[in-house]
Amino acid sequence: MSTRHDAHVLIVGGGATGGGLAHDLALRGLRVTLVDRGELTSGTTGRHHGLLHSGARYAVGDREAGVECIRENTLLKRIAPDSFECNDGLFVAVCDEDLEYLEPLVEGCTGAGIPVQRLTAAEALRLEPNLNPELRAAVRVPDATVDPMRLVLRFFATARHNGADILPYMEVTGLLVHDGLVSGAEVRDHVTGKTGEIHADVVVNAAGPWSGKVAAMAGASVPIAPSPGVLLALRGRFCNMVINRMHKSGDGDIVVPQRGLSIVGTTSWVVEDPDDLSVPEDHVERMYTEGSKLIPALRHAARRAAWSAARPLVGATGAATGRELSRTFQTFDHGEREGIEGFVTITGGKSTTLRGMAELCGDVVCSKLGIDEPCRTAETVLLPHTAYYSPLAA
Amino acid sequence: MSAPATNELPGTAERDLPGPIHHKGPGPAESGWFDPRHRGHGGRGLALHRITGLVIVLYLYLHLGVLSMLLIGRSSWSSFLSLVTAKSFLALEAVLIAAVAFHGLNGIRVALVGSGIAVPREQGMFWIATALAIAVGIFAALHVLGVL
Amino acid sequence: MSDRTDNRRFRVYRYKRGDGAERFDEFDVPVGPHSSVLDALRWIQLHLDPSLAMRHSCLHASCGTCGMQVDGREELACVCWVQDQGTQITVEPLANLPILTDLVVEMTGFFERFPHAHPIIRSSEPPVSEDSDAEATAHHAEVALQTDLTLHHHPLHHLHRAAPPAVDFVRLEDCIECGLCLSACPVASTSHEYVGPAALAAAERLLEEPRGVKREDVLAWASRPEGVWRCHVSFECTQACPADAIPAERIMALRRQLMFGENDDKEKER
Repeated sequence: MSTRHDAHVLIVGGGATGGGLAHDLALRGLRVTLVDRGELTSGTTGRHHGLLHSGARYAVGDREAGVECIRENTLLKRIAPDSFECNDGLFVAVCDEDLEYLEPLVEGCTGAGIPVQRLTAAEALRLEPNLNPELRAAVRVPDATVDPMRLVLRFFATARHNGADILPYMEVTGLLVHDGLVSGAEVRDHVTGKTGEIHADVVVNAAGPWSGKVAAMAGASVPIAPSPGVLLALRGRFCNMVINRMHKSGDGDIVVPQRGLSIVGTTSWVVEDPDDLSVPEDHVERMYTEGSKLIPALRHAARRAAWSAARPLVGATGAATGRELSRTFQTFDHGEREGIEGFVTITGGKSTTLRGMAELCGDVVCSKLGIDEPCRTAETVLLPHTAYYSPLAA
Repeated sequence: MSAPATNELPGTAERDLPGPIHHKGPGPAESGWFDPRHRGHGGRGLALHRITGLVIVLYLYLHLGVLSMLLIGRSSWSSFLSLVTAKSFLALEAVLIAAVAFHGLNGIRVALVGSGIAVPREQGMFWIATALAIAVGIFAALHVLGVL
Repeated sequence: MSDRTDNRRFRVYRYKRGDGAERFDEFDVPVGPHSSVLDALRWIQLHLDPSLAMRHSCLHASCGTCGMQVDGREELACVCWVQDQGTQITVEPLANLPILTDLVVEMTGFFERFPHAHPIIRSSEPPVSEDSDAEATAHHAEVALQTDLTLHHHPLHHLHRAAPPAVDFVRLEDCIECGLCLSACPVASTSHEYVGPAALAAAERLLEEPRGVKREDVLAWASRPEGVWRCHVSFECTQACPADAIPAERIMALRRQLMFGENDDKEKER
């Protein structure tokens, strides 16, 4: 598929957001260049535990997010077949207090259109023998597990094969702004050490928790609160399904199987600078404690790694934990917001909704360029991730 | 509303060039197997197997060369005999015997494991082969010295 | 890292295209008790030299992008702990693949070696269990028979398999496509055509679990000169593998199938 329009879009940021958008715009026939200062998905995207949300976690407190999730969950399984461990997930009540969350959870899921099935403790233990034997009840929802890097690489692979220029190790050092119009970016190529410029009709800021820094290069601002959390990888595949704690979002309330490892997550705090994140040992200890309430064997499991990843949360800065901020995504047209034309920021959200985020932003970008092209990502099956590395057809 | 093509980007041409390829070991690529540093028992076993194999081949040529001396005459044969019956030379023969033992025993291991037989015991088999080869070498050395 | 209590000297390979010169840069890096080599390299990138290029993504040995040679050994930098290394640490890119820049190798050649069919979802085994009474399941025993594998060298060999669940679960393949095996392979340095351990292990997985791929096609692909017969049984690949892909054992199983496969089939039919 070759480009049908002359318009050139430069996307800053090679994570799920950038990859989803590159694929979306390439399908609409635009010329796309994407740059990232490092490897693709090396920011926040690659670091998450690999949960494909059913939306159940949000259905109670944030119905909109729940609806978005289940729609995108179903879509992704269709456009990226053979990428997901479709084993479903369990929400498990390990104490009587947890049971108070059961009815709101079932109602919330039903209201958001998320398939939910009640299970007895015995049924849950038959499915997952390593669960806490004291568990009271469980519900089953269509959570799934995915390799976060490889899923997003499928978007990049398809975008590349549709003509997009994907350039990792190309760092944006400044934006070209003149008279309230962004016309491109100054870049340094870390492959050669040389500097240069990329000109574009629209620059899209898809830099995740670094969106604030990139926006500032144009004199714009976005309400981004980088919100890191600690994750813990333990040796041993102790479950096949995603195991969630049946309560309001809290620390260490999820266990996700990743190949031969079990990932326990997570915590939450807010920082100014998304680089150089710390990994507080007391958070790691909390993962062991909370995780073993779901699966007791995790208490003695050997630690493979502990790390932090910064969520790009949208909302008013000044929040304390980041859990108060909405997880929905937003597109900011800086022409409308601050009179800086040719510059759009898309941020917030989570991996599960990457395709939907890209559709929304793609619509905004096309309308700015006066291009009438519908989004086709919901019907297009993605190339396998290995296609990113294979040579393009001549 | 169009912008110039991306061929003004720095580095796009250079990214397509073939890059250098690193190999293990200090010499050319073909010698990568030789370097025993940073390898496990298997990689060192492979190196030893190839070295002992080369030693055995070299010995075979030497042996043929020596036998061809029989064609020359008595005097060259006698001087040759005094060389090869010297203790120092016989000590080298002990090393050769150890090499043959290792190559043969490890060879059995490689033949079995390489056919998918007894794979979980491959490490054990390697150490048994090595231990036996060393024992044979020590026995040969002691025999040469006249101790055993 | 918040609690940096120690300093280590890092000797890092550098190469930028255009000027073509390869060199080593030295950096002194503050590290803490849980610092990884990747943490140290990212600290260098953040505080000393933003032009240092490297690959990483998941930070927990799951994506396979951060493969490097640390003091000559293949490691995933994100789980290679600085505390286990010496006072001077040399970091180089992987061997046997072309270098793009600094610590980044081009993975195109790695993926081109794989068999054409490359499914990454497979059936799951029963989960591990602490319960010492749990016995090996029939499924696990059957898998073991096919490939003669045990968990003997595995860090989890003290665990057992729980009983199989009521449902057929799936999971991602063990291989994380990191390239450490190809870098460690002594044959791969000599022969650039050799498909390498990861590709052969993937082929063996297709025999174990076809997922629509024909057995004859896999065996034909594997028995080419640059395929399974190039392996010289050094086991460096399994030694280097940071996941549970056990490439060496799978190569031997593949060879067994090629040599005795028909006999094994006849045994099963009896």
